[in-house]
Amino acid sequence: MSSRSTALALSSLAMLLGLATSVPAIAAEKSLNVGYNDSLSGPGAVFGLPQQRAIQIAVDEVNSAGGIKVDADNYKITLITNDDKANPTEATNSVRKLIDRDNVKFLIGFCCSGPTSAVASFIGGEDVLMLVGTAAEKSITTRGNSNLFRNRPPGDFTGAAAGRFIASKGIKKLAVIGALDAALYNQYLAALKAEFEKLGGQIIATESAGLGDRDMTAQLTKIKGLNPDGLFVEIYVEQAAFIYRQANELGLKVPTFGFHGGSEEQFLRVLSSEQMEGVYDLRPTELTLAALGPGATKFAESYKKRFGENPAPNTGYAYDGIYILKAAIEKAGSVDVKKVTAAMASMNVPNDVVLKYLPVDGKLFDQNGQAYITNGAFQWRNGKWTFVSELPSDTRAYSDALSAARASKNPIK
Amino acid sequence: MPGAAEILQQIVNGTVIGSVYVLIALGLTVIFGILGVAHFAHGSVAMFGGYLTFWISQKYGLSLYPAMILAVPFGAALGVILELFAYRPVRNAAPINAFIVALGLTMLVDRLNMLLFGPDQLVIRTPYNGVYEIGSIAVSELRIQVVVVTVVMLCLIGYLISHTSAGRAVRAVAQNPYAATLMGIDVNWVSLLIFAVSSALGVVAGALIGALLALAPGVGENLVIKGFAILILGGLGSIPGAIIGGLTLGISEALAAGLLSSAYKDVIAFMIMIIVILVRPQGLLGRE
Amino acid sequence: MKISGGQSFTLAAFALLGALPYLAFTPYTIQLATIALMWVLMAQGLNVIQGETGYVSIAQAGFMGVGAYASVLLVQRYGFPVWGAMLIAPLAASLLAAIIGFPSLRVKGHYFAIVTLAYNLVIFITLSNAVSITGGEGGLSGIPRPESLELPYFGAVSFRNRINYYYLTFLIAALGYLGAWLISRSAFGRILRAIRQNEPLAEAVGVNCRRYKLTAFVISATYAGVAGVLYAHMIGFINPTPFAPDASLNTILAVIVGGSGTVAGPAVGAFMATFLPEFLRVDESTRFIAYGLILIVATIYLPRGLVPAIAEGIAALSVRFRLSGSPHARQKPSSG
Repeated sequence: MSSRSTALALSSLAMLLGLATSVPAIAAEKSLNVGYNDSLSGPGAVFGLPQQRAIQIAVDEVNSAGGIKVDADNYKITLITNDDKANPTEATNSVRKLIDRDNVKFLIGFCCSGPTSAVASFIGGEDVLMLVGTAAEKSITTRGNSNLFRNRPPGDFTGAAAGRFIASKGIKKLAVIGALDAALYNQYLAALKAEFEKLGGQIIATESAGLGDRDMTAQLTKIKGLNPDGLFVEIYVEQAAFIYRQANELGLKVPTFGFHGGSEEQFLRVLSSEQMEGVYDLRPTELTLAALGPGATKFAESYKKRFGENPAPNTGYAYDGIYILKAAIEKAGSVDVKKVTAAMASMNVPNDVVLKYLPVDGKLFDQNGQAYITNGAFQWRNGKWTFVSELPSDTRAYSDALSAARASKNPIK
Repeated sequence: MPGAAEILQQIVNGTVIGSVYVLIALGLTVIFGILGVAHFAHGSVAMFGGYLTFWISQKYGLSLYPAMILAVPFGAALGVILELFAYRPVRNAAPINAFIVALGLTMLVDRLNMLLFGPDQLVIRTPYNGVYEIGSIAVSELRIQVVVVTVVMLCLIGYLISHTSAGRAVRAVAQNPYAATLMGIDVNWVSLLIFAVSSALGVVAGALIGALLALAPGVGENLVIKGFAILILGGLGSIPGAIIGGLTLGISEALAAGLLSSAYKDVIAFMIMIIVILVRPQGLLGRE
Repeated sequence: MKISGGQSFTLAAFALLGALPYLAFTPYTIQLATIALMWVLMAQGLNVIQGETGYVSIAQAGFMGVGAYASVLLVQRYGFPVWGAMLIAPLAASLLAAIIGFPSLRVKGHYFAIVTLAYNLVIFITLSNAVSITGGEGGLSGIPRPESLELPYFGAVSFRNRINYYYLTFLIAALGYLGAWLISRSAFGRILRAIRQNEPLAEAVGVNCRRYKLTAFVISATYAGVAGVLYAHMIGFINPTPFAPDASLNTILAVIVGGSGTVAGPAVGAFMATFLPEFLRVDESTRFIAYGLILIVATIYLPRGLVPAIAEGIAALSVRFRLSGSPHARQKPSSG
């Protein structure tokens, strides 16, 4: 054979080999099991069920767009769902089941603080990644777990900004009523009080109500007798509605501020729009379409079309959770849980999320695995919650305080 | 220190909620006093009545009172069914068995309510939002109506007991079941009647709670526990005891929350129960 | 020593449980079994006041909570070593039971049950509201396991190991079971049953019923306190939720369905209550409806519970088998 034909044959062979190895016959379609644990029944369902719906929408969107691309593989997300019934023991069992029996490496959901805290107390020793949604208790991210991330800011992150806002409205004597046994609310209040008092205000009454109470006339009567010039209400939506109604019935008419979220429908079931007029809600902007971008509007429309009602404010955390996981896997270029965890700890704010995050040092999560979203003031005007303004919040200072809290705890390992 | 106006306001608040307590306690005391059954499921039956009232008012566009009146026979029927199928089989067994049956019924009726009406809280909306102000005391129209309805129900029951033959039969069984049987009174029938009337009272209480506050899982249990606290306070089987006990509890709760601490408001009922047991186990107006 | 049928069954069950970690496949099953054993303690304790003495107590979960929080607070606030705290904490439940039982056992049957429900609620509300001490609804986290032990044969035993904690719980549950068995066979147990059958008569014969009832109540609470301690140090996190009256009702269910008044019954009931929901994948509402129906049906038709019913059933079957199969019928029909 001549050297030229050998060269031709060899190069053709090389070309063929090159083609064969660079073009996969079919892109491999794989399944990524993601463990979804949430409070789908019991008292937590009011937060858990909306999360479930939001996650379903996100998962369907991701899967129909081809799944998560890792090298040549497309991973379709398969959710394995467990209900923890807002009970810490159930949550521990359910997560154990997901890890041991179903071999999941990624956990999402977690709307309620009690069950989530239970899981957070042992998850550090497991080879999984846990992404927490609505659960707001502060210590969930100060426990020293490097594999736990949360995109919902703790209560006191908003509390401080709220304290400044209330002071800015000229309130000097504030009366407080709330579910003060819940960590979310007492942490919020502690931060609010610190800022409010710094600016010269005084909290003249602190009344508490149980999370199941609906008759707060006694506490409101006591508050009325102390002549406050402002009222602050922090409790679940359903009870807040009763507080507003009863305050009206008792003739307690002062500027009113709240921390409870809730849609217009939820309030109008209990009291009239006139009785609500002027009430402020000071909370993370969460899923408030007026304050967010077109992605949020699109999500709200899909939700309403599929489930027949407006999405609850906390649905944003759950929806974003799926996209954050997707972005982290894509950044890591792998579904290996350690690599994804490292990617999540260092990622920027991804594109497909609907909530407005405040990056810390350019990253989505701070060194505690905590993400932050903007805080906003909303006011009830003519039957609708109207977005008034963003509440300025100091993310860097808060994040540092959180790290200090984390470092001060003895690592329990 | 709270002024007289504030205390008076608390008392007014307490009287309103106390009236609902009275309705519940009345149903309980009649069943417990005459039939010896601790009908723990009474709260759930009351909730059923309230939920049904809500449903009727939504479906047929009726307001609170007409819907409530329509719901009463169904609530009474539920009470009768419970008596026939659950309590009667254990009537002659140890009393504790009836109590355990009652616990089981509570779980059952509660969950049935949840399946039928959903787990979310339901509020019966009324147009009675007007607020009357007498001096510095404010009370809404609806709250005044609650007290009035309770008084009406009390008069009704009083009339039934003292002026009808059925009432006479009930009184006879209350005094002495054996003698009553000898006199030809069918104790079975009287039992059904007692359960029917108590459950009817429960429906009214449930509807009023649904309008005043809300219907939700857990509300029923809360009410019935307070009902039993009232029974212990006022004396088993004593109707005046139920009335005085109910009002006392309502007012005590309001005053305690107002003057002491609101966090432990519910605990007042239990404190009262415990103190009464320590000091006067037969209650304020009890017989034994 | 001749072992009866029932006793050999019990021994077999013990052997099975003892070997469980080597038979079961996942940490999840071990966890579930550990929790079931805690419920065995709860049910056995309840059986003493309810099954033997006849006074239904709806406060068992409340006492569990007292034990749990006492232990955790001793460790976290007062720096007690974990073993020390675990040993002392159940006494908090005992003490509380003695204090609240003293006036409450004056009243009869259903009164008493309702009052205990009130106590459970008071405990629950207090745990939820005393935020500075108990952390309220947010709870207490980072609860440590007991310190490792140096055992002669096994060497260093760490209780962070799930299997070792299972054996610890198994050992304590076995001791509890033994205790319940001893109570049942003793004079004390006989007197309790006499009180259940006919209290006025017992009183008339000279028994100080108050003292016996109170002792039974304190024993029940202590069992619950021990269960609470084991629970807290296993899960690593507690909040008031598991100690609500719901859990007390579950315990009552376990005792009644299993067989109140027997020794094995509550244990069987506890295991059923823990494992059945795993096998019956039904939603919460259906499960509670089933519980309610079971309670009602069991009380009406099987008032003594499952274990006695099964035992009777087996006994009846074996008698029939023996009579029909025996070639030497004892009863010879008289001639004529």
